[in-house]
Formats: sequence, structure tokens, C-alpha cells
Amino acid sequence: MTSSTLVEQLAAGDSRTPQTDPVTIVIFGGAGDLAHRKLLPALYNLHLDGLLPPRIAIVGVGRSELNDDKYREFAKDGIAQFSRRPIDESVWQTFAPALFFVSASIDDEHGLAKMGTRLDTVEHERNLPGNRIYYLAIPPSLFGTTVKQLQRGRFVARQSSADDRPFARLIVEKPIGRDLDSARAINDALAVVFDERQIYRIDHYLGKETVQNILVMRFANSIFEPLFNQKYVDHVQITVAEAEGVGTRAGYYEQAGALRDMVQNHLLQLLALVTTEPPRSLDADVVREDKLQVLLSLRPIAGDAVDANVVRGQYAEGFDLGKRVAGYRAEKGVDPQSRTETFVALQLFIDNWRWAGVPFFLRTGKRLPKRASEISVHLKAVPPILFNANPNGRLDPNVLSIRIQPDEGFALGISSKIPGPKVQIYPVQMDFRYGSTFGGSSPEAYERLLLDVTTGDQTLFMRRDQVEAAWRFVMPILDRWAAASDAVPTYAAGSWGPAAADTLVESTGRQWRPL
Amino acid sequence: MAAAVIERSWRDSTPESVEDDLASLWRDIAGNGPSIARAVMANLIVFRFHERRARPSDQPPLGTDDAIEALIGLHPSRTIVIENQRGDNAEQSPTSAGVGISVFGSAATRYGVERIVVRSACADVSLPSIVRRFLRGDRPTSVWWTEDLSRDVPSDALVDLARQLIYDSRTWHDVRSGFDVVAPLATSQRIDVADMNWRRLDPIRRALAHAVDGLQPGSPPRLSIRHRPGEAALGWLLAGWLAARLHPPRNAWPSIEQSPAGDDVVTLVIDDGATRVTTTLTEDRVHVSRAGMAPIVIPSPREQPAEAMAAELRTLSRDAALADALAAIGQRSVES
Repeated sequence: MTSSTLVEQLAAGDSRTPQTDPVTIVIFGGAGDLAHRKLLPALYNLHLDGLLPPRIAIVGVGRSELNDDKYREFAKDGIAQFSRRPIDESVWQTFAPALFFVSASIDDEHGLAKMGTRLDTVEHERNLPGNRIYYLAIPPSLFGTTVKQLQRGRFVARQSSADDRPFARLIVEKPIGRDLDSARAINDALAVVFDERQIYRIDHYLGKETVQNILVMRFANSIFEPLFNQKYVDHVQITVAEAEGVGTRAGYYEQAGALRDMVQNHLLQLLALVTTEPPRSLDADVVREDKLQVLLSLRPIAGDAVDANVVRGQYAEGFDLGKRVAGYRAEKGVDPQSRTETFVALQLFIDNWRWAGVPFFLRTGKRLPKRASEISVHLKAVPPILFNANPNGRLDPNVLSIRIQPDEGFALGISSKIPGPKVQIYPVQMDFRYGSTFGGSSPEAYERLLLDVTTGDQTLFMRRDQVEAAWRFVMPILDRWAAASDAVPTYAAGSWGPAAADTLVESTGRQWRPL
Repeated sequence: MAAAVIERSWRDSTPESVEDDLASLWRDIAGNGPSIARAVMANLIVFRFHERRARPSDQPPLGTDDAIEALIGLHPSRTIVIENQRGDNAEQSPTSAGVGISVFGSAATRYGVERIVVRSACADVSLPSIVRRFLRGDRPTSVWWTEDLSRDVPSDALVDLARQLIYDSRTWHDVRSGFDVVAPLATSQRIDVADMNWRRLDPIRRALAHAVDGLQPGSPPRLSIRHRPGEAALGWLLAGWLAARLHPPRNAWPSIEQSPAGDDVVTLVIDDGATRVTTTLTEDRVHVSRAGMAPIVIPSPREQPAEAMAAELRTLSRDAALADALAAIGQRSVES
């Protein structure tokens, strides 16, 4: 006689279907931009692929005066505009009944009670067991208040084990704070109510297909990993470039800047993935622990070293696809005297055995020539003899480039002889593209991340100690800039950043890789 | 031998949707038969002014769609054609765009090459923001300047995008002005320059290396060059190369004269007082005569324009001989 449930017996040995419990997903900020553009389309696509639990409710919560029908229209509009696949009416008819909206402000008792009553009703009607995922698609300043209210309304049971049922999980969006102290304050506030195993801090970059593939590429192939160390790698570049300006995000961006908005989270997470030691297992905490070790091994950049190793810039008037565009200070909502950086480039080192002495060049910015994110691992050049002896035409060193967006994939640049009677060498690419290899469109990052939350997999989410280690690294840079009174260098919109960013790399005898 | 096009796709686009439209074209083509490879060895920026496109007889057939297709079949390059209405109006964004894929190879081994055409009316300073958007940065980038360099000069911003500038000095209306443009580029080493006209001197340079054997290196020879009408640039390139290699005193720089029209493209006479070497380039050969020696005859390579251009695109090293020749011409220009 087996002790497993009938459900477990039916699911036994089925690795194709993710094991997801029936769940209620509660989206605070449910009528906001993130829900409209990303979350609802992602949930729709998961439903389309049969990856959501058959028993589910998605409840938007917000101050907007919407009823369920209006919310379904709102969701349908978002899916029609932003889903990677067109809306299928028959699928929509099965998805829409799972959508609900509660018009409430939960910072007051009435709103809290109203939400609680509605959730109970929905769960009763849909035979849901009370597993809940709370998604805070709201400004970070409201995180603390919201989780306190969840606690006050007894919406959350602290879990002592991942297997506890019904579960309550919390998803929070970056930014987690604007400095180390505020990050700790947010994490402390969350920790009062939720155990760390219940908290999912989203860095949507980690949900991108190519980013997930970094560990696969490194540890599922024997060709690359032996080269990933100071013996063979000359340097590594990570670029996250945006063609857009600040757009409608000026209010947030003025307080953040590129270092907080991109480097502290996305770029350092990418760095950790590409440099981590082989984890002993794929268990979420094992992988996250190894990534943490990378962040703890970063050589601090403080004091004068900030000036020597970090370049900031702010976009000035320039061109985007031939069209004149305004500089940052002339953007709507931006202080005309703003000192907020829209571009950062930095050189850093990882002081561990594997990466000792290898420079890592990171750059990110707005109003750069194109939207492009890439990690490139530049191997050491062959000696200047034999085929590399011509001083007028040195061979390109091998570069392994991992394209995160667009055109996801990776390529290995090698030198090849051009067919013909002469020995003439040309750099060619061994190129893998997701689009042409696997066909179709890759899932959006939010699809993978939301699915992982429903299955309870925290691997692609940032743990508290990672977030705080990243803040500890960037704080001396922020402090240095806060104390500085010199002008923030500018760069023309549509260029690759200020000249000092080129100098940063060229002073080491290297160059930024063109994108 | 040019590769044959077996299929073409084209669609109108907008500058903002170029990449999406190209992706869509690839999907369409992939659905049409056996697998197809996306071939991208390089970026090729083709620049032309579209107000002159209405007067094709005014221009040699450089940068035409047929010429581009012949080239990219041999050296698959993501080709970005900028048809610009020259002006200072930086408020003008690109007016239209189109994307295409030319498919080459056989039915079993098909490869496609992308082409993007952007029509604009932008000031020079804004053009790089268009080009940068479409470049595959991880591939070598060349600018093919199809306009007359002696009349229309590429902007610094455009030059800085590429590692190689390709032009043909045969098209220059004003040879002196043309060299005034390219000599500083070659000597500054900002960009590798490739002159399609210079390739025509390859056989003459090889032949001379044999023909001058025995001439006294210490005594500066008299160098005289005669070229047929329309070949002044070639004459100057030859003179510049000789000056760079032989270092004649200022008053012994090669003389350059135009000869009447005829079969001989260019003739060089080297005379050191004791020996006279006459080298003649025709359309199909080089002939070297010297008293007491059997004549040397070297055929000129039978290259199609696309083959010659592809050979230049594949050469990633700096052409030191051309750079030295241009530097000598530039120096001569300054001194005179």
C-alpha cells in the first residue's frame, strides 16, 4: 500500500509536466503598466502552453475602479498588444474566467477586508486550496506597508518548509532599495512576514533564454569550461545597451541612474553567471551560493580607484536613427541641472583563483546606438608568429559572444583561411541562433519566472545576501559621485558613450567590442 | 566567377522595423524549400546620393543593385545602402526603407545575404546614428564610397564607423582633390583605404621588380609617366609608389603627362643614363622592354569588378604600399 496521494501517483515519472499546485495569483498594481505589458501576456502564454495549473485564479488589486469584465478587457488589450503570440479567441475564452479584479487600497482596513473577502469567495467558487502568490507590481516604497497589511489580515502563514501547504509566496520587482541601507530595510520588512524561501526577487534578465543558457553552455559542454579562467581569457565585456531615452520613467530614473538601475542588478547578475564556479548541483540555493561567492570576490572600487575605473555619462542632444533627439536634461520630468548618470562603464576584477588579473569591462546606457545586450569572452591572442606575424594585419583573437538580446544566441569567432592559392586569413563565426535553430519565438522572461514561482523554484531569483553584496560593491562608487562636484561628462545621443569610456578600455591596450 | 542568384525577396519597410521585416523575410524564405544559411562575413555600407540616382548616365555603374548583388554573392555582407539627399537639415529623419534577401548557391546549399536600403535626407552628422543601428558589430565593416571622392567627401563620422574605405579613383573628376582627401586618411591610419584603381597596378609593380635588376640604386633615375586620357589617377598612383620606394630628390619626382588616346593605359620610362626600361600597361597585359634583355610580358588578371572588390573586402591587413604611395602624393601636393 503506497502512502502517496492519487495526484502524486498520476504524476509519478512525468517529467514533462511541471508539478504546479492550484494557486491564486494576486497582483498588486494589477491595473498598472507592468501587469498590462508583461505579467498578463506572460500568464496568457503560460496558459496557452498548458503550463499554468488547471485550477487557478488571477486577481488584480488596485485603486482603479474596474469590475471583473473591465479587467478582462484590460488584460485582453495588453495581450493583444504585447503578447509574443497573437491572441487565440478559443484560448482566451478559457483564460478570461480566471481573471478577477478587486478595487481596493489595502493600506486601509476596509480595503484589506474587501480584498480578503473577495479572495475567499473566488477561491471557494473555483475550488482553490488557498495557495497564494502575491506579486508586488508596485513602487518599492509601498513594499513594507503592503506586506505588513498582508500580515495584519492574516493572509500569510510563515513557512518552515518548502512543502508546507497552503503556501504563500511573494514576488518583488527591482529596485530593492536605492542603497545598501534601504535595501536592508526592505529586506528586513519582507523578512518580518515571509521566510526567505517564500520570497522571489525578480531580475527579469535572469529569465531570458540566453541567460539561462549560460550555465548550460558552460557546464553541459566540454569545450568551453576549460577555457574559462585567467590562463586563457584575456578579458570579458558585458554590454547592456538601450536605444531608448528615459521616456516616461524620469521620475524613477532621476533618483536611480544607470548604476543603480542596471549595474547593481542586471550586469552583476550576468557577471556572476558567467564567472561562477561549477555548482555541485542545480539546487536553487547551491547555484545562488556560488553566484554569491563571485560577488563577494569583487575587488572593491573605492576612493580614487572610482575615478580610475568607473566612467559615468549623461546623454546630450544627438540623433536616433537620423532623427534629432533631446538630451537627458531636456526630457520631461528631468531636472535641467540633473547630475544623474545615464551611462556607466567600469573595469573590475574578481579576486579569486579562477579570474585573478582578468579585467572585466561592463557598460550600460541609454540613448546608445541600438538595443543590444551581450557578454563577450575574449580569449588571449596567439603569439605574433606564424599566421599572426604581419604587423599590418594582426589576427583577431577568438571571442565567444553570448547575445542576450536581440537575436539571442552565441557565436565563436575563429580565424579561417580564405579559399585560394594564397594564405589569407579572415575572421569567421560559428554562430548559433535560437530563432533559426529552434524556430518559433522564445518565451518571454516573465513567463519562465512566473512559472518558476508557481513550481517553487528559486534558482533564477535573487537571494537577500546577493542583493546586499551587490549593493556593498556599488556603494563606494555612489558615495564618490555624491561627494563630487565636477560636471558629469556628456555623450551625444546615438553614440556609444563618453570618450572616457573608450579611454578606460583603450588604456589597457584593448577596445570595446563593436555591437 | 560571380555566384548566381537563385531567389530574391524584397519588401518595403520603415527604419524602425527593418530588423523585424528582415526576420519575417527569413521566415518566408526558409519556408520555401531546403534549409538556408544566413551568410554574414562582413558589413558593407554603400553610400550614394539619391538625387543623382535620377541621372544614371552621370555616374559610372558603381553601387548599383546589380553590382552589389554580384559582390555579396562572393563576399556575403550585410549590406546597408544609404541613399542620402544631401543637405544640412538634421531635423529630417530617414524617409523610407526597404529590406531584401538575395539567395545564392545551389538548391542543396543555399545561403542568403541581407540588404537594407535607407533613404534619408539627413545632415552628415546624423548618418552614423542610422548606420550604427544596423551594423553587425562583430563583423568587419567597410564603407563603399560610390560617389566621386574628389567632389563629395565622406564625413569623419562615417569614416570612423568602418575599418576600410573602398573607392575607385578612376571615377574622379578632379584627381588632385581626390588625393587631397584620401592621402590624409591613409597616413593617419584611421582607416584602411582600398582603391580599386590601384589594383590595376599590381602587374606593373611585379614586373618592375624584375625589370630594374642591375640598375644602380645610388643614382636617382629619371622617371617619366605617360597616361591616356582619363587615367591621370593611375599615373599619379604609379608616381607616388615610385617616389615612396625610390625616394627621388624633390626635383626628380616622376614627371606625369597625358598621352593621346590609345591602347596603352600608362607607360613608365626609367632611365638612369646607362639603362632605359620602358614598361607599358595595356588593358590586358604589362610589357617591359630593356635593351639587352628579353621583354617581360605579364598578363593582367582577368577580374570582374565584383571579384576585385571581394578580394579587397577580404583583405583585413593594411595595404602599406598604397598607403606609402598616397603619403608620397600627399607630400608632393604640400610641397607644390
